[in-house]
Amino acid sequence: MGDSNYAIGVDIGGTFTDCIVVDDSGRTTIGKTTSTHGDLPTGVLNSIGAAAGQLGTDTETLLSATRSVYHGSTVGTNALVEGRTSTVGLIATRGHGDSIFMMQAGERLRGLPPETLAHVAAQPKPAPLVPKHLVAEVDGRVTFDGRVLVPLRDESVTEAIDQLIEAGAEAFSVALLWSFANNEHELRVRDLIHERLPGAFVSLSHQVAPRPGEYQRTVATVINSAIGPVMDAYLGELEDALQGAGYAHRLQLMSCSGGVIDVEEARRSPVLTIGSGPTAGVIGSRALAARTAAASARVGAGAVVVDSGGTGSGPVGSAPAPANVVTTDMGGTTLDVGVIDGGRPLTRPTSRHGQFEYFVPTVDVRSIGAGGGSIVQFNEDLGTITVGPRSAGSIPGPACYGRGGTMATVTDADLVLGYLDHEFFLNGAMPLDLDASLRVLEAAGAPVGLSAVETAAAAARIVDSQMADAIRLASVQQGYDPRDFTVYAYGGAGPVHASGYARELGVSRVVVPLSDFASGWSAFGVATSEAVVVREMGRASSSPFSPAFFNDAWPDLEAEVRRRLLAQGAREDQIVLERIVDTKYRNQFSVIPVSAPPGTWDDEVVAEFVGAFEAEYARLFGEGSGSASAGYATTGLAVRGVADIGQYEPTIHEPVASDTAPTIKRTRKVVYYEDEGLAPRDVPVFDGTTFVHGMTVAGPAIIEYPDTTVVVRPAQTSLVDEFGSIHLLLP
Amino acid sequence: MFPGPDKDTIVTDTAHPSSEPATAPAAPIWDGKLHSYIPASDWQTRVSPDLPLHDDFEAEVDPVTYEVIRNRLWTINIAHGETMTRISGSPSFQGLDFNMSIAAEDGETIMNAPYIQFLNGGATFGIRYILEHYSGNPGIHEGDMFFGNDPWISATHQMDMQVNTPVFIDGRLFAWISSAAHQYDLGGISPGGWPQGAPDVYSDPIILPHFKFVERGMIREDLEQVLLRQSRMPDFVSLDFRAGLIGSQQARDALIDLCDRFGAATVKGVMKGILDRSQESFKAKLRRIPDGRWSQVKYSAEALPGDKSVMRVQVNFTKEGDRLTVDNHGTDVQAPAGPAGITFSPFMGAVTTVVALNLLYEHLFAIGGAFRQIDFDVTPGLLNTVDYPAAVAGGIGNVQLNVYAMQVLVSRMLSCDPELASDIVGPDPDYPLFVVQGVNDRGEGFGQALLDGFANGRGALNHRDGIDSGGPMWSPLTRLLNVEDVEQWYPLVYLYRRETADTAGAGRWRGGNGATWAVTPYRARTMAYEANAFGAAVSVVNAEGLFGGNPSTAGSHHHAAGTDVAERFAAGHIPQDLAALEHESLTRLPGKLNATTFAPGDVLEAQVMGGGGYGDPLLREPARVLEDLANGYVSREAAEAHYAIVFSSAGDIDAEATAAARDAIRAERATWTLVSDVHGAAAPVEALAATGGPDAPVHESVVARDAGGERVLACRHCGEILCGYRSDYKRSCLMLEAPLTEIAGAVDPGPLVDQTVLFRQICCPGCQTMLGTEVFREGDPMMPDMLLS
Repeated sequence: MGDSNYAIGVDIGGTFTDCIVVDDSGRTTIGKTTSTHGDLPTGVLNSIGAAAGQLGTDTETLLSATRSVYHGSTVGTNALVEGRTSTVGLIATRGHGDSIFMMQAGERLRGLPPETLAHVAAQPKPAPLVPKHLVAEVDGRVTFDGRVLVPLRDESVTEAIDQLIEAGAEAFSVALLWSFANNEHELRVRDLIHERLPGAFVSLSHQVAPRPGEYQRTVATVINSAIGPVMDAYLGELEDALQGAGYAHRLQLMSCSGGVIDVEEARRSPVLTIGSGPTAGVIGSRALAARTAAASARVGAGAVVVDSGGTGSGPVGSAPAPANVVTTDMGGTTLDVGVIDGGRPLTRPTSRHGQFEYFVPTVDVRSIGAGGGSIVQFNEDLGTITVGPRSAGSIPGPACYGRGGTMATVTDADLVLGYLDHEFFLNGAMPLDLDASLRVLEAAGAPVGLSAVETAAAAARIVDSQMADAIRLASVQQGYDPRDFTVYAYGGAGPVHASGYARELGVSRVVVPLSDFASGWSAFGVATSEAVVVREMGRASSSPFSPAFFNDAWPDLEAEVRRRLLAQGAREDQIVLERIVDTKYRNQFSVIPVSAPPGTWDDEVVAEFVGAFEAEYARLFGEGSGSASAGYATTGLAVRGVADIGQYEPTIHEPVASDTAPTIKRTRKVVYYEDEGLAPRDVPVFDGTTFVHGMTVAGPAIIEYPDTTVVVRPAQTSLVDEFGSIHLLLP
Repeated sequence: MFPGPDKDTIVTDTAHPSSEPATAPAAPIWDGKLHSYIPASDWQTRVSPDLPLHDDFEAEVDPVTYEVIRNRLWTINIAHGETMTRISGSPSFQGLDFNMSIAAEDGETIMNAPYIQFLNGGATFGIRYILEHYSGNPGIHEGDMFFGNDPWISATHQMDMQVNTPVFIDGRLFAWISSAAHQYDLGGISPGGWPQGAPDVYSDPIILPHFKFVERGMIREDLEQVLLRQSRMPDFVSLDFRAGLIGSQQARDALIDLCDRFGAATVKGVMKGILDRSQESFKAKLRRIPDGRWSQVKYSAEALPGDKSVMRVQVNFTKEGDRLTVDNHGTDVQAPAGPAGITFSPFMGAVTTVVALNLLYEHLFAIGGAFRQIDFDVTPGLLNTVDYPAAVAGGIGNVQLNVYAMQVLVSRMLSCDPELASDIVGPDPDYPLFVVQGVNDRGEGFGQALLDGFANGRGALNHRDGIDSGGPMWSPLTRLLNVEDVEQWYPLVYLYRRETADTAGAGRWRGGNGATWAVTPYRARTMAYEANAFGAAVSVVNAEGLFGGNPSTAGSHHHAAGTDVAERFAAGHIPQDLAALEHESLTRLPGKLNATTFAPGDVLEAQVMGGGGYGDPLLREPARVLEDLANGYVSREAAEAHYAIVFSSAGDIDAEATAAARDAIRAERATWTLVSDVHGAAAPVEALAATGGPDAPVHESVVARDAGGERVLACRHCGEILCGYRSDYKRSCLMLEAPLTEIAGAVDPGPLVDQTVLFRQICCPGCQTMLGTEVFREGDPMMPDMLLS
């Protein structure tokens, strides 16, 4: 096997553990095994072993030749969702321990569906993250300017620690007001905890989330400690298992901010791994889109392939077109939407765990309750058929699963409309009950006089348009027109519905990335992610700006980012640093992150930076919407470092002759809800494994892979690009 | 010309003898001058014939397209709100102090956004006023936007600037985008726009009838300078204007896109469908409730600083078949001076609120059609329909009094249907408010309200406790700002901000608790505060108890002057109680106070209360009280006083002794006075013959049933017959009338008001279950809370 030539990505899902091995030439090998709940590291090794088998070797040999193992872990997410967390004791500033119970009043409901917002009799707060008796307060106060107004009184701290230990605290979170402006009190509290309990897991808010806003900072700090011990133990076991099997380097963990972080950081700040699953999908899309764009530029306009974004491919020899992509991951309960602008995923500063909002810079993946399990029913009050947001989930799941589900779902509709094959679901591993689907859909549609098929068509159209709305909100609100974007569709139901919601959106191209791999897209994302380190500094300034203010900050931030990336195994020449300044008009509340110039600043550079802010503001809100007379202010500086340590290069397939076609397995009756009424029509079902680069299929058609079904609607065309991704071209 | 209801649904001609000013013989003219604007039934005849209307619509839109477009309208409103929040720099916008609406070409409201529900309740009136008065001159054209904040036309108060934007399709007026949002400062005698000391409207912030601010896509720069010149904070207000403008523009463009995609006639067809369905749904819901009349009184205090009056607001709902009539009879005449009342527009907003959230929530804020079933029978010149030129900017908080009164009415009506009863939510408390103003030590001015009152607890439900620090019901998304936000804006630091035990009404289900917070100046060059409590929030009482639950009592405003807080800080202590501070003076402040110096070393404390309780507190399971005790939501004293809990020496509940203590209290209640002995027998009514129908609830604890050939009302718990079906059941009950301090923990309002306010408890004569609690001004007649017909 030679030197360290491999990068391995592993993603543990509810059913399968997916592993992808990428060698230095970019060749990929997939290992798929069932997840081993209760002993996850074994499943990881099994999946690596499966890939090793494909490569004709064994686990030890493969791992000893592997330079990086990247891992997307849902251990923290699952522990949090299922409540298998440590008992956390929270230490807060005297007088402010209730912040986490107040939850900013109505802010907790933001992002919940309209049905919940309107129904004031059904909006209870969730059970608290930390019960009242596990919150203790200490005397000591820092103010907004970082000054110490009240010195920290050690005695109050030791009393608080004793109280929490007495109450059963296993891990600690320290979240004091303004700690990011002056961290000395939090550090002292940590030391006092460790004096009392050496080795206790302690999270400090200024480290977890150095931003103003005590509620969101406190929640982040509490979640970090709640999942800290379980993640720490799991990652320790996994490292041991990998090293025991011959792996000699450091494990890298997928983070929700879109890059991989070193295992040590993941053990210290496990909150960064929550939500990394949906993020991985966006990152995988970014990686593939970037390669596709580069290939497109190489080949030039007019080639069979594929510009990766609506901005079109440039002339021969031009620089790669930037990737403009909306990612759509449609699973059983949610649709997750991300936006990649010019090759960069959009990010946002907060995440949510149910009603709890917390600061963690994360790739901006927005979820709505629309998935295969979304319930289709007649709503008496509205007098219409509605879809979701309630979901049958996977248990009991859709009626056709035969697991006791009695409500009609989107998957039932997909089956009745002929999009799915009841005999070929999950490659035939799970036969579906078509009669059950017909029964529940008929019942749902009866009050408005719709038949089962009509109800199914209605449900598909409603859910497609809801998803189009969600995608529109996620993109338009950020100042982007989705029609300028390519839609990437993955997840179990994404390729089934993408041709529908893309049509609603008015986009012209949908990509099902690497075809059958679309159902396990997260592992690909993990394997192709970059190392990303972000360091922030919560320092404010206002115009007229002093160049010295910025010049004082950048070198330390950049040195720290560089140091961490090197520690993660990046080479110096791989590191790309970007400066980001959170900027606003002086009197505004919301800030816009502005990419700021490198080098040493002078007045001219300051002017350039202000110009960049003005341009971004105009893009978001329209020309002439600015308010320059009030001046400008910045609230924080950050440096984001990226190192492409994965270096994935996809395999490029040569095109086959244009007159060859994929194999038709059979035809079946399919109903499309638009254009031609609801009469079922015979539609060819193609064997996806025979659909290769150079072939074209005109809709209507169904393309079936073992794990993925692609629905091509009338007047749409599909083709396969040089990497094996399917493209749907919409009229 | 305009499609829509043939009948004008606003009826306004009834004078009410008890409160009508003596010199008002003629029917009032509702033209937005002396009285508020209410479009006359022939308003459409005054719309310029030169304004082309896009009123084609597809009568039958398939249910799927319908659902698609309905969702899109929701998305447009949400996006509108998000854009405004991002552009503005005002703390008010961050607190989501706004709402937006999509209306048809004739102004009928199709769908509101989920923000403050009463804030844009006047959208329809604003649009119709513009159509009626300005469609000829200056005309309504593509790209225009009208601003306006006249509360006698359609604004809630002057600070809530309304933006009405016509949407044209193919050159014809198709719809309107409307928003209203609280601006940072628009002049007047006090910064921030809450002038307590304003005797009349001429001391309020500038008042602006609707005017064309954006003309064919261009902002009128001359007018902007005129407006900004009125403000202490022109830079902030300029951003607020842009927030309103860009938010409306984006919403307008999104609506035009929708019409491009589906066809304007289809979109209009859906809009009409939304109106029709909410109307039908409202009718169906009303039909589930027996016919009758429900009444509720609320009190506010202090018309302006120095005044000590207690003022009465009354709202009555009369339900007949599938129509609802709303009237304000019984409300006091507007105060001679001071911001003590509201105009008709926010009163409409109050109705919008309870319809959207308590009656028709299934329609997701698309409730315009319900208004086709609502008649208004309102008298002008009362506290909820004040005439020009009353001061109104500082009195906007009194809209909530009306909301809460209506919430109680709705709760009683919903209790008549076992299924609807689960939607009952008791009212919130009123809102204490400090406005801080001055200059920080960097020379920057500031002047706005501290919005911590959004930490209020919510009212109890019929199956659950109210939400602790849940925030206002009337604006589900309202955000309690982080302390770290507020400390960036104003030169002060918080000593504490915490949930507070015993701040809610006790009951079978208790209200959610409120909160207490205290601040002291930090790095201020100069600083002053005004106090502006809404209702009677810090002087008399807060949220009503429902069906025998207790009300939440008065909150507080305190000013400790010349304290040793600096020394305490230096010694490493953060005081958690005003009593823990040495001070030169400690003053319980009235609700309303003009600008008062807030000096270094001073501490201000405010307490917002929680919601009212639901049902007899003696019916609360002791285990719940114990859990509340452990979480600090109820004190041991309150557990004993309200719930008759008896603790064992180990601190557990002594179940037997608790049951005995509760029996003893019931025995005590049995000695109370019969209501009719004091207030007279119920007015004679014609008996209703037995219907043969089943027993039917008409109240949490009262049931209608047949007995002795007659339909009667009886206690649901013990079966005791109270009265005939059409009579006032309360007259047959036992009662205790006592000072407010009868409620354990309540503070005597005496020093802050010059009229006596009393507390009346009413229990079943058979089983002594508490059926109702009432707060009343001494001398006010006892009033039926429900008369079935």
